Order: sequence, then C-alpha cells, then structure tokens
Amino acid sequence: MAVIARAVRRLGLSLLVLWAVVTLAFVINHVLPGDPARLLAGPQARPADVAKLRAELGTDRPMLVQYARFARRLVHAGPRTTTKSDKQHASCSAFGAIHVDLGMSFQQRKPVARLIGERLPATALLAAMAVTFEVLFAVSLGLLAARLRRTLIDDAVMATSLLLASVPTFLTALVLQIVFAYRLRWLPFDGVGDTTASTLTHAILPAATLGLYGAGWATRLVRDEVLAELGKPYVRTARAKGASEARVLFGHALRNVALPLVTLVGLDLGALLGGAIVTEKIFRWPGIGSLSIDAVVTRDGPVIMGTVIVASTGIVVANLLVDALYGALDPRTRRPMA
Amino acid sequence: MKRALLCASLVLAGCTSELRGPLGERDATTPVRGGTLRMASFTDVRSLDAAVAFDEVSHALEGLVYATLVTLSPAGEIEPELVERWTVDEARTRYVFTLRTGVMMQDGHPLGADDVKRSIERALSPDTPCPVASFYERIAGFGEYTSRKRDTLSGLEVLGDHQFAITLTEPDATLLAVLSLPIVAPVCQTAGRAFDRDFSLHACGAGPFRLERWEPGRQVVFRRFESYFRPGLPYLDRIEWALAVPQFTQRFRFEAGEQDFLHDFTHADLSRYLSSPAWERRGVWDPAKAVHSFFMNTTMPPFDDVRLRRAVSFAIDREQIARLRPGETSPMSRLIPPAVPGHDPTPGQRFDLERAREEMKQAGYPFDPATGRGGYPEEIAFSCVGDSFEQQAAEVYQQQLARIGIRIRVKTRAWSAYLAETSRRGTSQMGSDGWAMDFPDPSDFFEPILSTRAISEEDSQNRAFWSNREFDALLGDARREPDFGARMRLYRRAEQLVFDEAPWVIVYTKRWFNLHHRYVGGFTVNPSRTQDVGRVWLDAAMRARARDRRAALPFSRGALGQRFARWP
Repeated sequence: MAVIARAVRRLGLSLLVLWAVVTLAFVINHVLPGDPARLLAGPQARPADVAKLRAELGTDRPMLVQYARFARRLVHAGPRTTTKSDKQHASCSAFGAIHVDLGMSFQQRKPVARLIGERLPATALLAAMAVTFEVLFAVSLGLLAARLRRTLIDDAVMATSLLLASVPTFLTALVLQIVFAYRLRWLPFDGVGDTTASTLTHAILPAATLGLYGAGWATRLVRDEVLAELGKPYVRTARAKGASEARVLFGHALRNVALPLVTLVGLDLGALLGGAIVTEKIFRWPGIGSLSIDAVVTRDGPVIMGTVIVASTGIVVANLLVDALYGALDPRTRRPMA
Repeated sequence: MKRALLCASLVLAGCTSELRGPLGERDATTPVRGGTLRMASFTDVRSLDAAVAFDEVSHALEGLVYATLVTLSPAGEIEPELVERWTVDEARTRYVFTLRTGVMMQDGHPLGADDVKRSIERALSPDTPCPVASFYERIAGFGEYTSRKRDTLSGLEVLGDHQFAITLTEPDATLLAVLSLPIVAPVCQTAGRAFDRDFSLHACGAGPFRLERWEPGRQVVFRRFESYFRPGLPYLDRIEWALAVPQFTQRFRFEAGEQDFLHDFTHADLSRYLSSPAWERRGVWDPAKAVHSFFMNTTMPPFDDVRLRRAVSFAIDREQIARLRPGETSPMSRLIPPAVPGHDPTPGQRFDLERAREEMKQAGYPFDPATGRGGYPEEIAFSCVGDSFEQQAAEVYQQQLARIGIRIRVKTRAWSAYLAETSRRGTSQMGSDGWAMDFPDPSDFFEPILSTRAISEEDSQNRAFWSNREFDALLGDARREPDFGARMRLYRRAEQLVFDEAPWVIVYTKRWFNLHHRYVGGFTVNPSRTQDVGRVWLDAAMRARARDRRAALPFSRGALGQRFARWP
C-alpha cells in the first residue's frame, strides 16, 4: 500500500513539474522580443501582409487569452474520427474520444502533434543506440581499467575517457564524419536511410557521437565504482570461496555498480529523448532536437511548446523508470523508510 | 605496431584538409539527355506551394515545378514565358495578355486563361497565407476581394480561352515585374481554388520538372516533365535536392562526388576554392541582388541632426568593409544593386574624412584627430544580429567612426529580437539594415524601405523613420511613369535626397558563388533566382568514372552504407 501511495505521489509531483515547465516555456516564449508572423512572412514583407498573418496565427491576441486556449485545447474530448474539413479539430491527434491538440506549426502549417509523431521514433532510435553504445563502451573499458589498475592500460582508458568527456559533441561529430564518411567512405555522411538496415547504418555516426560523450563520464564511474566494490568484504568472501575472477567482476562487483550506472544512463536517456540539437543538425537526423532549434529560431510557438512537453516528459519518465529499476536491482530500496 | 600505424593513419586521414580538384576528365560542353543531378541547400524549405513560399531556396525549387507568366532575360529585362504577348491601353491601367497555346500543365490539362485567374485569385485569397499579397494591391477590386466583400477579383477578367486582362486602379510600372514571381504562377487544377496546406506535397505547375516526392527536412526529388512546353528541355531525368545540409558536409559530399553543385560555402572554404589553382576560373558568381547598409534613426538624438548623419555617411570607407570578404562582398554606394534594372555603377555616397569632420564641426561637435579631443560626447548603440557578417562590419564602422569622434557600441541580438527592436519607433539609434530584391524593379529598393508609407510604430520597414514629402512624391511619379528612362531620372532624384539627408549609409553588396564538377554543363546564372538548374545537363558516365578513380584512394574500398542500403 505504501508503495502505491509513493508511486501516486511521485506521479502527481511529476505532473506538477510538467505543468510548471510548460507554463514557464509559454511565458518566456511570449515575453521574448520577436514576432512569429514577421519571421514567417520574412524580414521584407509589407506590414499589411504581416498583420494578415498575425491575425491568422492568433498571435495578435493577449497572452492570457492564448494561454487559456492552449491549456483548454491541450487535452480535450472530441469526436472519435476527424475529417480534413473539420477545422475545429484539424490540429488534434485523436486517441479515441480523447484529443491532444498542440496546435498548428506556424512555419510548417502542420499539426504539431503530427510533426512530433513523425520525429519521435527517429529520436528514440538515436537515444537508444547512443545509450547502448555508452553502456557497452563504459562497462567494457571501465571493467578493464579497474581490473588492470595502475597499469598503462588503466592510464590510457582514463585519459581517453577524460578526452571524450571534454571534447564537445560537434567536434567529435566532425572527426567521425571526416574519417568514416569522407575519407574511408564506410558510412554515410548524414541523413536517414530508406530501409531499416540503412537507417541503422545512418544512425551509427550520430549515435557514436552522443554515446562517446556519455561514455567518457560513464567509464570513469564504472572504473571507480568497481574498484570500490572490489575492496569490500563480500568480494573477499567470494574469492575465498573460490569464485573465478570473471564471476567476481560480472556476478558481484558489476551488479552493485548497476545502481549508479542506471542513474547516469537514465538521465542521459531522458535528455536524449528531448533531442540532441547539435548532433541532429550536423547529421541531418530528423529528430526532436533539430525540430526544436528550428522552432526557437523562427519563434514557432506551438512547436516550441510541443517539444518542451516531449523533452520534459522524457526526463520525467526516465526518472520514474530509474526509480522503478532501483527496486528491481536493489531489494533494499523497496523497503519503506523507517 | 601495425595497429598503432593504422590508428595514426586514421587520424591523419581525417585531419588533412587539402582541396581536391574538380571531378571529370574534361568539361561537358555537349548537352546530354538523362542522369540525376544531386543538389543540396543549407536551409530547409517550408512550402512548395507557389502562393505561399517566398524565400531564396523555395524560389530555386519552385522554378523547377512552376513556369511563370513572364520572366527575366539574362540581361534583366522582362520577357514572355507562359504569356506570349501583351498590350497596354493608353491610360496604362488595362493590360491584355495572350497565353501561349499548347502548354500542358503537369496534371495533364492544357493551360487556359481560366487557370491563370484561378491561380491568381487563389494566391491573393484572404484564406491564403501569402506573404506578399500586397504587391498586387493595385489590381482593381483587390481591397474588396481580400476583405471578403467580393468573391472574385474584379480587375482580373478572362477574355477567351487564352486571353485575360488585368485592370489597375492607377498606372503601375511594376505590374510586369510582380507577374514574374512564382507567387502568381499558374498551378494545376488539383490545387483547387482555395489554399490547402497539403498541395505543397503534390506541387504541380507547368515547369520543366514534376515533383516526385518531398520529404521535409531531408530532400526534394524532381522528375522530368515530358510535356514541358519548351521542346527538348529539360535534359536531366531527375534532380535530387538534399535539404538542411550543413556547409562543411556539403563540401565533403561535393569533393567525394556525392553532390554535383556547391553553392553554400563557409567563408574559409570559399577562400580556399577561390585561391586553389585546381579550381581556377571554374566558379560563377550570382549577380548581386541585395544592398547592405545601416540606418540612422532620424527621430532620435543624435541622428535627428542631418549634419551628424552626413558626417557618418562621409566617414565610412566602403572599400575597407569589402576587403573583409574579398570577392563575396563589393563596395556599394547607391541603392539599386547590380542585378536590378536601373543599376548605376557610378559612385553615389562617398568616403571623405575631411568633409565628415567638417560636418561634425558644423553640428557643434568638432573633433581633433591629433589629440582625440572633442566629438560627440555620448556612446551610440549600433544594433545588429550576433555572429553575423553585419557584426564584423559594425566593428569596422566602430573604428571608422572613431576617427571623427563618434563612439559606437555594437549591440548584438538574435535575429527575431533584432527585427522587433529596430522596427519599433524610438528604440534603436542606428543599426545594420539592407534589402534584397523581391521583384526586378527599381521601386523595390525605394518604396518599402525609405518611404513615409513604410513607417509604422511597431513593425516599421523604414527603420530610419525618415519621412520626406518630396521623396514620396518622386516615388509616386516614378511608379506611374511608363518610360523606363524617365522613371530612372525620377529615381535618381529620389536617391540624391537619400544622399543629402543620409537616413541610410549604403555600404556593400554581397553575392553567392556557384561551383560544379566538369561533368556538369549548361549552367548559367539567372538574374531572378539562385541555383537555376532547369537547363543543366550532366555526363553521368564521366561522373561514374571520376568517382571510381577518387574512391580508389587508400582506405576507400567501398561505401559500407551503400552495401547496407541494398538490404531489404
């Protein structure tokens, strides 16, 4: 019962955080100077044409009126099926009778929910591949460094991880692109493929860019945590009982390192679900990140709000998942606090 | 050791940045039919609907799908396209146009006058988010139509299957120029009478290429339109146009032979290509279609004093600014840029440091350059977009104006904030400004920028807030004047007023470079739109040979991505 109450409390808090983030983003977007209609029409459009667009977009109305409309329309009841001619629900995504309406993109003139729906799978794939890369890299090198502590290999792994964590992603992206796409021609420069296999191939370089950055931190974490675990009494006991070194490392030490690693990777995953702006731009990966930065530059309010909702939801959900995983990985965390 | 060498080679392979020469053993001088041309643009496109899209890249793509009513000749003169001929009445308010016969639209229907009326009414409809509808406001009935008082545009009549007339409320010498824009290009019947956002995905006109598919943010693919009205054209089978490709990626793709044209350069790469012996005399510059300047707000101190404005105007050394980006920028001292009819290459505003100091003295702010004493006592804010060439130019203005005793502080803003701030009355003292050609007529470089009509409290295009009745009257007379020579004399007088009162300091113009490999032929610059590849051909066999040779470099044993792409 206590577990359910705690879960409900966490969920309520998460929803409150989401509402606060979305409202703050809405206010900031409206307070900042810059007229979306002017940016849509272009810097040279005549004032009469800009005024017409402003009225069409609804940005000529007071901020509170716009916010009230946004909040009212965000989740509402509507018909189970909508037609193209139904202007009232033209920008809605219908889940049965429940409609989610993030509005219509000013720039692209498409429902924001549809735009995000088109891009979310690409972002999710990239995030998943990047995190997988990060974990594989960090665990293998972290364990190796811990096992060969104070050797040349340990020093090399530590120096590499520091380098990876220090180099900005745009530089890593460029180096990978120059070496593997331009010089070696092993992988495509950018974009996405037409088939599943080619899409995965296209995702290798951007995923490696993001994964390497995260792996820099994660490798150090794994090495330090494993070293700490190897010095604990239960490891001595296991060794005394004749456990092999592999069993000690993988069966005992690594399992206890999983908790901090899951926390780190979970946060990375949440952040990546909100889009990796620089990497997506460089590799022309059609994800949430490139959508959001374009929206910010052009002051495309509905898209900004949509991507903020997705990004903050990603982080909140990742945190909830991490909490849930804690329980699975460490039974002690399931016990109610005294 | 072997592994270490391999690692070192990998790193070195990635670090070298020498330019590789053009691909192809000789120039493709003879037209060849067939092949797929691969293009790329730095920016994405928002729409391919002729009535809505109005930016540089959209224009380039629209030029493939749509044919306009009239067009610009390479010399910059209006000439027939879908319209075969036209007549004008004595009052110069009624134009009768005759369309070519036998023109097919891409949906299989022949082009008729009805299509022209439907397309223009669709573009100017109050339900269409056309960003430039006001260009056509002198067509009779425009006000009633756009305010929904009437269902049709009364000034646009169908006279026969291939004849239509446009009636104006007053003589307007810009009509033909605005009819050359894709905004009013005939669209297929599938576009309907009202704006539909999905038409963009199935854009359809009478141009040389049909839209095969548009994947927003990725690429647009075109296929040859076999019934194009110009016999034998186009040469290419297909065009694949990648979107939103960063400049440095474009360079790599171009050098690897994965992109046939290069138009978007980083400044460093452009300098390399211009100075590379392998690429000598291979590129073509687009004609300059923009004027870059800075404004001085005539309603705010200290620039409410014309003497101070003149001092600033005389203190700017345009040659020095142009040297920041040799080739790409050229000094400019008049309002009309080289690509626009009416351009005058003779000097207008001029650099004269002594005269500038004299004007400062007359304004009550004498400055002694030897001691650095005197000058305008307060710092003046100069607004511009951050991390832009305008910012670099502003830093040079800062040094140049310091020589006459004016201290400016460069205030950088994001693009959206810059637009909002500088166009609000009483907000910005001075800042970067400029104008790019909307349509090929000199009026475009006067009326929207410096006329009294262009002033508004919040969204002013006239950022200098300069109002001069004589200037406005000259512009009105010039718009009504049918004779081009007489019009230009009126514009010269108007321009002289700008020089005398200096609300703007005209500084430089900028142009774009086009580069292609040897296997591409037939490219010529178009004065009205960039990257016009409608009449280009390519020798696909030569390209394949050249790519294979280049791919035979160490470590380049094949593209893994291409192998994977063949998987199901």
